[in-house]
Amino acid sequence: MRILIADDHPIVRHGLKQMLASDPAATVVGEATNGDEALEMARKLEWDMAIFDFSMPGRSGLDLLGDIKKEFPGKPVLILSMHSEDVHGSRVLRAGGAGYITKDSAPQELTTAVRKVANGGKYVSASLAEILASECSSDPQKALHEKLSDREYRVMWLLATGKQISEIAREMGLSPSTVSTYRTRILRKLGLASNAALVHYAVRHQLVG
Amino acid sequence: MSEAAAAARSTAVPASLPENLSPETATEPAPQAKILLVDDEPKSLFALQELLSGLGQNLMIAQSGEEALRLALKNDFAVILLDVRMPGIDGFETARLIRSRERSRLTPIIFLTAAADEMSSMFRGYEVGAVDYLQKPVVPEILKSKVAVFVELHRKTERLRESEEKLRRLAAHLISVREEERAHIAREIHDELGQVLTGLKMEVTWLAKRLRDKPLIEKTDSMCKLIDTTVQTVRKIATGLRPEMLDDMGLIAAVGWQAKEFQKRTGIRCRAKLPPEVKLDIDISTTMFRIFQEILTNVARHSRATRVDIELMLSAERVGLEVVDNGVGIADDDLNGKKSLGLLGMHERALLFGGDVKITGTPGHGTRVSVSIPMKQKA
Repeated sequence: MRILIADDHPIVRHGLKQMLASDPAATVVGEATNGDEALEMARKLEWDMAIFDFSMPGRSGLDLLGDIKKEFPGKPVLILSMHSEDVHGSRVLRAGGAGYITKDSAPQELTTAVRKVANGGKYVSASLAEILASECSSDPQKALHEKLSDREYRVMWLLATGKQISEIAREMGLSPSTVSTYRTRILRKLGLASNAALVHYAVRHQLVG
Repeated sequence: MSEAAAAARSTAVPASLPENLSPETATEPAPQAKILLVDDEPKSLFALQELLSGLGQNLMIAQSGEEALRLALKNDFAVILLDVRMPGIDGFETARLIRSRERSRLTPIIFLTAAADEMSSMFRGYEVGAVDYLQKPVVPEILKSKVAVFVELHRKTERLRESEEKLRRLAAHLISVREEERAHIAREIHDELGQVLTGLKMEVTWLAKRLRDKPLIEKTDSMCKLIDTTVQTVRKIATGLRPEMLDDMGLIAAVGWQAKEFQKRTGIRCRAKLPPEVKLDIDISTTMFRIFQEILTNVARHSRATRVDIELMLSAERVGLEVVDNGVGIADDDLNGKKSLGLLGMHERALLFGGDVKITGTPGHGTRVSVSIPMKQKA
């Protein structure tokens, strides 16, 4: 499998090659240091798949991906990025990218991704899959916390971040007993039994950050 | 005012020192102030000119109301001396017309009346914008000192306008310099530091694979974790300085992302209505994005809201943003207060691109902020 790589940082290219070297089937045929060079190499060289950095000097990101996909629609391009998945991940897949991995993900993940993509598949990491799933769910009202009123939602958030009833009361200009009532109602609506379960719920649904 | 009184005045108030002595104008001589003299009688005009020539200002003359109007359309006068009795449009009518034009709305007018009986129509004169009356024949000292006062006032107004203009330009410069600086630092941190960390992690992983000794493997594992945390921190710092998606994905995606982040960070529910993603001018995008961030900061700090509704609107001519919260509602005092530097900053940013920001608060029912910026940058 002939691989084209592009990254403006020598140290990353070096590391990338090192990791790919562990796979006997993989050969790096070209190393580009920026987007324009990557496009040039893609036209000149014989290659089977490409691994590109998302942001490079010159043409890069979705623009570069678009250009490559237009000229080589059948060849898989894996995007490697410093940016977290929630921002760019789904856009890269929609633009025709075969996969998106962040540079801080485990090296095994890269190897897995390369194999998967080389066989014509798409590589989606577990966290990106979650983001995609939430983007795709046609009815956002489905999530239980969407059934909370705006005020209940904020009380829920404050509870989830570890605030005491009295603190919440002060912050929202409500009486402590009102906040307690809200708490009871929130737990019932979310089908939870305790504050600890609420914290867990909030973290799992990425409601706190 | 006698000449002596006028002299006493000018020594008492340092700002009215002769132009060549005041520090601001020491390097460049003050431009002459324009004074308009209007009288249908050439003799009177000549006399007025003679009297005022000593002031060293630019004296312009008109022999009729029509001519005076024409001149007032093209010039900014420090003061207009206007004869009441003229054939055609008389002095009162001329004054009314001059004052009705935006440019000369505030130009001081001194009426010259020929006879005591006309003093009865003073009231009418003040109504159309006269600031003073002088009876003919005029006493030279009185005329000179009155005109001198208006010339001085005009100069100060001009200077104030100039310094306002300078301040505005300085603010604009500071905003753009700061933005460039932030973008630069963010890029450096994110790219250089981030990539080195990535490389470092790859090296450590390479090393880890070749280790058989358990304590050593544990060490490399913890090194990997440390690197991961550092990468997260680097990312957070860079995004805080300038969100990368603003450059990569454009304003619309960035607003959506910021709204989600805001909800996560504050627990205030955020609903964003966004148009399909298109790339807009980067400077306009940055301006709009920074104003949006400032609005959200204010919501989090002061509003006690539990919900924010955001709408971004695009047309061929404008980018519009509307942010409505359900909090306590901003009070008028806070809108105009000296402390509201954040609000002032928003206005200044919008103004740079010919846009505007409107903020309205309804006590107990929340605050609405509307921002509008023209698509095409002002030349």
